[in-house]
Amino acid sequence: MNPEMPMTANQVTLNSPNRNDGPMVGQPGYIAIEQLSIAFGSGKQSFLAVENFSLEIYPGEFVCLIGPSGCGKSTVLNSIAGFIAPTQGTVSVDNRLIDCPGGDRGMVFQQPSLFPWKTVLGNVAHGPLMAGNSKAIAYRIAQNFLEMVGLVKFAKHYPMMLSGGMQQRVAIARALANSPPVLLMDEPFGALDAQTRFMMQENLLKLWEDLKTTVVFVTHDIDEAIFLADRVVVMSANPGQILKDISISLPRPRAIEILLDQNFAILKKDCFDLIRQESLLAFEQQKKGT
Amino acid sequence: MGISKHQQQLLNRWALILSMPLFFGGWEIISRSGVVNPVLFPPPTLVALALYKWATQGPLLIDIAMSLSRVLVGFISGAIAGILVGILTGRYQFIANLLTPVFQLLRPIPPIAIVPIVILWFGLSELGKWFLVFWGVFFTVWIAAHLGVQRVDKTLIRAAQCLGTPEQKMLPEVLLPGSFPYILVGLRTSVSISFYTLVAAELAGTFSGIAYRIDIAQQNLQVGQSLGGLIILGLISAIADKAFGAFSKKMVWWS
Repeated sequence: MNPEMPMTANQVTLNSPNRNDGPMVGQPGYIAIEQLSIAFGSGKQSFLAVENFSLEIYPGEFVCLIGPSGCGKSTVLNSIAGFIAPTQGTVSVDNRLIDCPGGDRGMVFQQPSLFPWKTVLGNVAHGPLMAGNSKAIAYRIAQNFLEMVGLVKFAKHYPMMLSGGMQQRVAIARALANSPPVLLMDEPFGALDAQTRFMMQENLLKLWEDLKTTVVFVTHDIDEAIFLADRVVVMSANPGQILKDISISLPRPRAIEILLDQNFAILKKDCFDLIRQESLLAFEQQKKGT
Repeated sequence: MGISKHQQQLLNRWALILSMPLFFGGWEIISRSGVVNPVLFPPPTLVALALYKWATQGPLLIDIAMSLSRVLVGFISGAIAGILVGILTGRYQFIANLLTPVFQLLRPIPPIAIVPIVILWFGLSELGKWFLVFWGVFFTVWIAAHLGVQRVDKTLIRAAQCLGTPEQKMLPEVLLPGSFPYILVGLRTSVSISFYTLVAAELAGTFSGIAYRIDIAQQNLQVGQSLGGLIILGLISAIADKAFGAFSKKMVWWS
């Protein structure tokens, strides 16, 4: 167990083995996307957002989806969440086909999307309450997760009294409080300033290293993707397909200094070149109006 | 000569303080000057006397209680029904398709227009009065709740789904609080609607109530009491509106 991170929540709800235990056989959080295609609209207006997209994500893995804007990375994420039904192909989590949203897949959105009428504690306790826990237990779980994101002092505050970064930390705590095997994150730090973003990224990695949740993280920030991920999946636009699946073998635990590492720079250039080509291509296509 | 900011503020304060006295003073002077017929336009002092007699020797308290009870019963039942049906039609397309065309047909009918039918159906009973106020309140609250639910942030609903909120809990946990700011606007409008529906209901036939007394006093040429009744009615609905405003602020503490 990570000695820097006092683990309180796992005593209540979580079984949290060490990250370096090797492959997670039998642990939940296995995502399989098979030949997924998603089209929006119908007839002549129809638009293929994602085509023939296949991806396997293993329990406990941290995978970043990256690509030019409009490449369908959020669409893929939304189909794992169950918000969007596949036009073709399948999405399954732990061998169960996804056809609707559920508490087994936590989600953090670009906007914190906290319930403004609930306190910070009430927001985090929502999931455990819906899962059928008693009020006392739900609030204890919530308290523990607030501690993990360092906001226990703000438990009684209402979301609007918190800064954007703090709200997003509450949103992360809320999504994790259900102990979902899968955590989906849709550009969660996109709206934050650079300083806050670094802090959030480090904080998230610490949480993940303790909780071993499978994370699918959508971003357009290459630094962010490489810093966080075990694998960076680079997508092409129009329609969204996998361009390259890059394994990030940088050592963990990672600190922000790793951004200065030479290996980091090489990986970054790889991604950058791929995305630049794609963006140029997309730009040309838009000019031609196709 | 310019006025300093301080002097301006002082003037503004006095304008507020003098507003009522000037109005009643002007009224008193005009009534007593002989420009108008003092029988038809009695001065406020005589109106106050009529109110005093109504309160001490007449049934003022009973009239107020009867009128308030009609407003309360009609408002509360109309509000509850409006909120529930509005959330259902706002959330479920099937229910919306089933009910909305009918409601849109009935909604524009002024409550006063259905008074004759209400008398046929309910006679002069209290039920008829409640029904009229209910009718006025229901559609306003319904449309507010209906639109409110549709304006609830979609991401909040998605967030709730990802936290494992079952559909039947979605209503109390997300849809109701999420649409509450909109519902409250509808409720506040309904407060004044319920008062003017009350007037229509009482004028149509009853045996007590503020508006009923205004009507009876007019027939007896007790204009003082009629005007006094208007003032009472104005006071009550102003207080109700203010109280509701304060209540609203408490109910949507987050915005």
